[in-house]
Amino acid sequence: MNPIIRLNNIEYSYPSGQKAIKGINLEIYEGEKIALVGSNGAGKSTLLLMFNGMLKPDKGSVVYREKPVSYSRDALRELRKRVGFVFQNPDHQIIAPTVFQDVAFGPVNLDYSEDEVSRSVSEGLMYVGLSGFERRPPHHLSGGEKKKVAIAGILAMNPAVLVFDEPTSALDPASSESIMELLDELNQEGKTVIISTHDVELAYPWADRVILMNNGKIITCSRPAGAFSDGKVLRDAKLSKPVLLELYDSLFEMGMPESEKLPKSVLDFVHMIENKINPGVNCCEECGSIYLIDADRLGDESLKKYLEGDRIDFVGAMGSYAKKRAENDGVDLNFTYGVIDKCLLKAISGRNSLIITTGGMVKRVTDRVDEFRDESGKFVNVVSHDDFVVMF
Amino acid sequence: MYYELLEDIAQESKIRDVNPAVKLILGLGCILICISSDGFLTPLAIALSISLITIVLGGINPRFYLKLLLIPLGFAIFSVLVIIFIRNSGDVIFSLDLFGLLTLTVTKGSINEGVLIFSRVFGGMCSLFFISLTTPATETFTLAKKCRIPDFIIELAMIVYRYIFILIEEAEMIYTAQLMRLGYGRKKGSIESFGMMSGALFINSWESGERLIGAMDARCYNGKFAMLGEQKAVFGSPLILSVLYLIVFLGVMFFTGDIDLYGGIIQ
Repeated sequence: MNPIIRLNNIEYSYPSGQKAIKGINLEIYEGEKIALVGSNGAGKSTLLLMFNGMLKPDKGSVVYREKPVSYSRDALRELRKRVGFVFQNPDHQIIAPTVFQDVAFGPVNLDYSEDEVSRSVSEGLMYVGLSGFERRPPHHLSGGEKKKVAIAGILAMNPAVLVFDEPTSALDPASSESIMELLDELNQEGKTVIISTHDVELAYPWADRVILMNNGKIITCSRPAGAFSDGKVLRDAKLSKPVLLELYDSLFEMGMPESEKLPKSVLDFVHMIENKINPGVNCCEECGSIYLIDADRLGDESLKKYLEGDRIDFVGAMGSYAKKRAENDGVDLNFTYGVIDKCLLKAISGRNSLIITTGGMVKRVTDRVDEFRDESGKFVNVVSHDDFVVMF
Repeated sequence: MYYELLEDIAQESKIRDVNPAVKLILGLGCILICISSDGFLTPLAIALSISLITIVLGGINPRFYLKLLLIPLGFAIFSVLVIIFIRNSGDVIFSLDLFGLLTLTVTKGSINEGVLIFSRVFGGMCSLFFISLTTPATETFTLAKKCRIPDFIIELAMIVYRYIFILIEEAEMIYTAQLMRLGYGRKKGSIESFGMMSGALFINSWESGERLIGAMDARCYNGKFAMLGEQKAVFGSPLILSVLYLIVFLGVMFFTGDIDLYGGIIQ
């Protein structure tokens, strides 16, 4: 497979002469979730600005789909159409006096017709859950909402690669989680997502590949478990270990036998410990079920109906549309992020849960449950939308 | 936030959704009637009725509205006092000798003129407040485009509009930071702090300008700016009501044009 973006031996100095990037080689493949992790001043933002040609490297080349970027006006336009960049501070990105005009900025400049513009704007806003905010001025929005407007502005241009500089900085935990969930959703639809962050807790469970940067260079580039397990490298990069790995290391030092795979989530960890305590006990009759509802196919029916009776203990929603739907129907959500893992956790303790979701993400639930079954040998029953609806 | 901008209130107005063209027609129509009226009754009646419209239909807090009105009316009262004492025409009502240096005289004519000017200002201000408290700037850009105002002016206005708020926010943050470190404790310090804030704001705006170009380029800027789509909003009935309102007051203007406070005609 050919990389979608390749950086060849990139070097860059600030106008003041200080070297920011000192020879970086990097290949990014289509559909990857990449986290660029480094301390302040490691050169993350500078490197990200290379991806859509905002900065031109002093040495080396940027290659997009096998074609080196030529930095002519037309080539840059073409590149920026494919590679969307979301700035760290949404106030730097939001230009227009209303949400609609700002989200429409890209599409209009890409010469979309009027219908296409309004369609891509409403799609972009629906994605981030801000439908109905069209006529609001940006200074009337909260920080999280501004960030979402900035993201919608990029989504409306429908790029193949999305680059986020510090997507969750200055956001409260709930907004950060919903942004990360959104990034997952976008990745699920086939977009390549690159983020920069110094939050290791955020990068560790989310990324497919972690790139540790320090002082303008890449230190390691590997799967999250590998990148975050070497204490010395992390200390050099002025970063800390994710709590889960720290916990795992401590338990390991206290004499817990090593597990073949490092835990990536609370679910993994619980399962790992359970295995160590009762090895070989895999009783499936205790496991609860996960029920699925596809909010797209629900039509006008209220979700409330499906929550009647005491079959379901917990309710979670995935995706902005499903969450909005649950809110409209007055359904109290127990989980709004990390939904599948949390439902699996409840399932192994014998409780049933309902996941409200939409279209493409249904498959993600079944995939994750299958993966979990292969890893743990526990069978969690997933009841599909059709089977579930028939019960009523 | 320590301040309340008229724009913010307009965004929350209850008649925000009425077509901005209608609101502009009503407001500007009222202003025209006010300044062309020869009698003081019409502008006063317009002032009262349009204030009622702003407060009741627009959902503006009456206390806030009165406070807002006090600013221009304060100026108007002082100017009118000067006019009353300086203009001399008709019978003398009252005369005051100031230490033999200056004689202040109030005549019937000057009272009439003062009252007329005051009522015109009052009516005009109320009409102006009606526009600014019910029509957010964001809604007028589309209208400007329809009126064939050149694109570059509208685009500039839109960017200026957006950045005014960023600048205000930044100024507020700098001011707070200075205040917390006692920057405005003494007179000399206040002047220095204010200068420092102005300088910082200038540099910030400069940087914002450069960032703006970057942000626009990052989204393939090609000389185009999206306009807010036409509102599906109410158009018909408010227009008819506004036109009726204006016609009624035009009528009032014709029939009350020669009524003066002191019966005389301004000379």
